[in-house]
Amino acid sequence: MSARKKPWIKSAFSELNLTQTTAVSEGTPAKRTRSTPHASTKTQRNRNVNSTPTLAAALVDITAEDEDGCGDNSESPPTVTEKWMESFAPTSSEELAVHPKKIGELRDWLRHCEAMRWKVPAQICLLSGPTGAGKTATLQVLAKEFGYQLQEWINPVDCEVINTLGDQPSGGSYLGSHLEAFKSFLLRASRYKSLLNAQNKRLVLVEDFPNVLLSDAEANFDDLLEKYSIYGKSPLVFIVADSKSRGLNISYKLFPDQLKAKHRINHISFNSIAATIMQKSMKTFCAIMQQKGNKALYKVPSSTVVDSIVVGAQGDIRNALINLHLSALKGVPNMPTKQLNVSVTSKGRQRKMQSTLKSIGRDESITLMHAVGRVLNPKCNEEKRLQHSPEVLTEAFCTEPRNFVNFIHANYLPHFRDIEDVLPAINDLCLSDFMLNEYRDDALPVMGLNLAIRGTMLANKDPVSGWMPVRGPKRINVLPPATLAEQKLLGIGCADTSKALYATEYKSFVKCIAARSPKEMPIENEQSIED
Amino acid sequence: MALWVDKYRPRELTKLDFHKEQAENLRNLCKQSDFPHLMFYGPSGAGKKTRIMCLLREMYGAGVERLRSETMTFTTPSNRKVEVMTVSSNYHLEVNPSDAGMYDRTVVIDLIKQVAQTHQIEINGQREFKVIVISEGDELTKDAQHALRRTMEKYVATCRIIMSVNSTSRIIPAIRSRCLGIRVAAPSEAEMTAILQSTCKREGLALPVELAKRVVDKSERNLRRALLMLEAAKVAKSPFTAQQEVPDLDWQVFLRETASQIISEQTPAKLEKIRDRLYELLTQGVPPNLIFRGLVEHLVSNCDMSIKAKTLELATEYEHRMQNGAKHIFHLEAFVAQFMSIYKKFMSELLMTDDF
Repeated sequence: MSARKKPWIKSAFSELNLTQTTAVSEGTPAKRTRSTPHASTKTQRNRNVNSTPTLAAALVDITAEDEDGCGDNSESPPTVTEKWMESFAPTSSEELAVHPKKIGELRDWLRHCEAMRWKVPAQICLLSGPTGAGKTATLQVLAKEFGYQLQEWINPVDCEVINTLGDQPSGGSYLGSHLEAFKSFLLRASRYKSLLNAQNKRLVLVEDFPNVLLSDAEANFDDLLEKYSIYGKSPLVFIVADSKSRGLNISYKLFPDQLKAKHRINHISFNSIAATIMQKSMKTFCAIMQQKGNKALYKVPSSTVVDSIVVGAQGDIRNALINLHLSALKGVPNMPTKQLNVSVTSKGRQRKMQSTLKSIGRDESITLMHAVGRVLNPKCNEEKRLQHSPEVLTEAFCTEPRNFVNFIHANYLPHFRDIEDVLPAINDLCLSDFMLNEYRDDALPVMGLNLAIRGTMLANKDPVSGWMPVRGPKRINVLPPATLAEQKLLGIGCADTSKALYATEYKSFVKCIAARSPKEMPIENEQSIED
Repeated sequence: MALWVDKYRPRELTKLDFHKEQAENLRNLCKQSDFPHLMFYGPSGAGKKTRIMCLLREMYGAGVERLRSETMTFTTPSNRKVEVMTVSSNYHLEVNPSDAGMYDRTVVIDLIKQVAQTHQIEINGQREFKVIVISEGDELTKDAQHALRRTMEKYVATCRIIMSVNSTSRIIPAIRSRCLGIRVAAPSEAEMTAILQSTCKREGLALPVELAKRVVDKSERNLRRALLMLEAAKVAKSPFTAQQEVPDLDWQVFLRETASQIISEQTPAKLEKIRDRLYELLTQGVPPNLIFRGLVEHLVSNCDMSIKAKTLELATEYEHRMQNGAKHIFHLEAFVAQFMSIYKKFMSELLMTDDF
């Protein structure tokens, strides 16, 4: 075996059928396969040296259902194939880790497409959800079930350079527009079938949005959809991953509600995968690893490692699979895990300490509302220590300290019973505001946030229990502008009176003068003309 | 129609009602060919602006009264557009940079550059320079004040700056030393009564002496407030009677009620209601330092001698933090909470001693 570098990682279940030739409509100069970086390499020699005995596969039920999908792999030599991920890809809707209801929703839509096939072929659907929730996998499985061929748009690295401008001798080249390429892809891919494919039904998938659509307001997405619904001949699916910040949230930015209503876009939003379902699919994965072709390659990781992977992945099945794959490879040392201080009761029998992967896996993401709740209702464990450490909360929000402190301030009061307890809390909030305003030191904002969190968590000795909705911090709006009559009274002089001065000195008097004297106005006007 | 305040504003230095000696000095100042940067300082409603306008008229003639207002747009280094209202004539330009908030530095620099880079195109050639009037100069941030210092020197050939400030304490020494300070004290009560009487005479109204006294008392020697108050009273009831009610500033009434609510109950729930009231005041545009001051005054006047000192001590602490902080409501609320706690303790001790 040469030391040829082989990529072991291949993004998602991008291709349904390996043998199928990539079918790209002629309009797009892009490749259909998703490029993946050669993130890590494994050489054969390395593995031979370190071959460790397979761990007892206590976890895995070897008699578990057989997978058809990995038939291809049976003859392969014991190296990680480039497309190892496909061997784990779900092949039928029963194998999907997605909640059956969501699968049902998508299936209903596809049925609807079938029904409307001759009348209104250009149906549009939007799938949204967190990363690794199985959006693409679900679509691929169902498309296969219904006999659709997926045509996916991939952003071209560079648009075609058009060299000849006819009248210009040289140097007259320009880049074709991304937007134009995208438009022509949408229309052609939905109308014309691939030469290499027998299936007549096509499904256009857009997961990779052209950047022009996101950055440029002039690229009119609405018009594009309008055109598609007139000329398009096959259903169109958009897949969008959720994102916490609004600026990056495509489904919020590109698909406002009125657009969805206008084009009758069916919006199906996926949830992240539940831990129980994830456990089940991990078992399935382990079973696949135990099959004939794979056995030489994989050992089965211990149950703690598998559990940790599930915890660490937080509903992201792709992440879980990658971690599992890494931990299951022979020749890779066992993954270090660390204990979490959260203990969970498992199956009602005994309390089991939960652990997560030490260095790999997703960081725990915690929503703002969640964190505010933890600050306002601090829970202590048996040793009289805070269950959620203020340090962790601080770390989670150190990029937006001001916002978090405002949230605490807006919500802390109803949790207090005694004014004496309020004192240290508000005092700390006050100091933290002072510190947050100090921009010259990088460390101070974080300190300020920490102070506010600690102050509020520790101050409340006798908390009020009960359900209290979290409210957003109040914004001080600009004061209502002066009415026309008031403006007239002030004349040109109002321009240089500052808002504060106007509010404190003029406003209340001017209001009552303006309210009572509309009759006099014409007379006064005449006077001013005489002047 | 205009408000009495504007209608009867003296237009010439010779016609000013009080500080006549100072007016004479100002006239002499204009006679000289050179003219320094000026800084008028004094309490609100004492007539700083009136004096500045009179001075400009003395210098340039009636042309300065032909005003036009215009909105100028400035672009900050971070590419943000800031709009500022300005009032200008051919000879001068008035601006209130405090409306630009934290971007006042850009406003000050750009504005002065724009004005100063063009020479005066004037046939008579009375003065070689234009005047920039900066009102509420003490609201300028330190940053803007430092920027101003440099530009003041650089463009001294083509422009002069007249600042109108309430207190020189918030002006950096560098600017204080570059300007000729002119103090405009608040008018005395006798002067104010005389002005109110003469105003009413010009309007053809009879002003009872008692009512005049009450208006003067209520206005806290603020002439602008007194005149507005009188006009509002006239709108409410005309002709005047000695017993008639004098309208109040509604935010002050609101603040007084807030203070009495603080004294009535000391619980977190009440604190939250107080917070809503404070938000209301802030939304109305009342500056937080005025709210703080009003609150402290009302609370101190309503509580026992023994806790006054402590209250004031806490007030100073939180007021200082408020000046340095960004969210004023935090500090106002903290002070209210502290006061509530002191007051509650005081009351419970009082009850205990009563029992014995």
